[in-house]
Amino acid sequence: MDVISNLGLGFAVALTIQNVAYCFIGVLLGTIIGVLPGIGPVTTVAMLLPISFTLQPESALILLAGIYYGAQYGGSTTAILVNIPGEASSVVTTIDGHQMARRGRAGPALGIAALGSFFAGCVSTLLIALAAPPLAAIALQFGPAEYFSLMVCGLVAAVVLAHGSLVKAIAMVVLGLLLGLVGTDVNTGARRFNFGMMGLADGIEFVAISMAIYGIAEVVYNLEKKQETSVVSGALGRVWPSLADLRYCAGSILRGTGLGAILGVLPGGGALLASFAAYTLEKKVARPPRQFGYGDIRGVAAPESANNAGAQTSFIPMLTLGIPGNPTMAMMIGALMIHGIAPGPRVMTDRPGLFWGLIASMWLGNLMLVILWRIKLLIILRRQGAAR
Amino acid sequence: MRIRAPKDFWSGVMFCGFAAVAILAARGYSLGTAGKMGPGYFPLVLGGLLAALGAMLIGRSLILSGEPVARFHVLPLAIIAAAVCLFGVLIEPLGLVLSLVVLTLMSASAGAQFRLPETLALTVLLIVFSAGVFVYALGLPLNIWPSL
Repeated sequence: MDVISNLGLGFAVALTIQNVAYCFIGVLLGTIIGVLPGIGPVTTVAMLLPISFTLQPESALILLAGIYYGAQYGGSTTAILVNIPGEASSVVTTIDGHQMARRGRAGPALGIAALGSFFAGCVSTLLIALAAPPLAAIALQFGPAEYFSLMVCGLVAAVVLAHGSLVKAIAMVVLGLLLGLVGTDVNTGARRFNFGMMGLADGIEFVAISMAIYGIAEVVYNLEKKQETSVVSGALGRVWPSLADLRYCAGSILRGTGLGAILGVLPGGGALLASFAAYTLEKKVARPPRQFGYGDIRGVAAPESANNAGAQTSFIPMLTLGIPGNPTMAMMIGALMIHGIAPGPRVMTDRPGLFWGLIASMWLGNLMLVILWRIKLLIILRRQGAAR
Repeated sequence: MRIRAPKDFWSGVMFCGFAAVAILAARGYSLGTAGKMGPGYFPLVLGGLLAALGAMLIGRSLILSGEPVARFHVLPLAIIAAAVCLFGVLIEPLGLVLSLVVLTLMSASAGAQFRLPETLALTVLLIVFSAGVFVYALGLPLNIWPSL
């Protein structure tokens, strides 16, 4: 079997003491920046690029990749506990996750997010190993028409996702598009809506917008309700999701993983689109659908599985075609180029150790993340115990 | 004419306002044609669309009845927005420590109950955390103290 011998080679690379250590540092950093709102994987990877120059290319890539998928685990924690998504891809998790926390079910919400992510991580690692070559052939045929369709699909999903007035949802999408116009026009290079400021030449940063809408709005919202802060200080509930929860979520985790894995491969996809699309799909497919928006555990399971699956499969176009699907992948390409490796179809054949080593390290990293998540939870529990 | 759905009415006004700003700010940009769009084409189309949606909300609010607008706390909102903006302006000349003091004190004063010891403790914690993580650990180019 080709796959098994390839994965064997991968594990031989990933299981050296040095690479295990870098994998651990990567996922640890990823978890930390995932919890911190306002600092995302792109910023972190950008800051670590110069450091990665001193490492072996395999170690560098393993470290940087760990940050990206590690952030998907961390992002859900603040989304559920404080209603502030640590990462953009955890935005939809706030909808049901925080409602669960308010109902004293923060523990199962955190648990299902970690379990779903782990399951998605294992499946998508296997998927990359099995399907990277044929899937790359599909993505190779992408043209402008397909990119455009993908964008429209995303915008329609945003409208479907919103609950409440349809007109307001469409108006907010249009307003979002208008905000996206700030900066340099892609067709003519003219500066739009920048009021003469150089800082706006590249547009409004996504981090700034999401902090304003999710962070500052939460501060103001807390003012209105005098005593109740939205920070869940009560009991986490039981930590592990019950067997009934698991059975209830199994379909959602599977659907989220599948959808996330597919969307991750597509350019423009990755963790962000995957989480939104998975939540939308879940709202349509899952029965009974009524509880969504009011603390449905499936509304946490699906997007958290999807963003992890999407984060990992978005490596496929980067490694096989040299196409960055999202900003983090662009940074990865930068890291490869620093080491004099041209990203593209030839990475797989020229440097099999790098390609398969990275894939093997992803599975290893996912295992470490579950352990880290357990430790993190113990710290939270102890702090709550001390507060009481 | 009576407003039956104040919440819809005011959100319609808000969207029309955004649309007006977009169209006005983009009026200097060349339009081009649909086949060869200038920088002003898309803002105008989006602005028009947003205005139409806003008008639809306003029109609907006069016919269908709906939710009232919750009481609007202008002063706290303004203080918090101002505190965040001020932080952005102050961080370069005054450095992390002083601008964080300004940020927390101002934001806390917007709250319903203002407790000085608590706020000061939070300020110190924030300063230590931000300086430790962002300046020392991550090496962001931020001043800690005023640069003269």
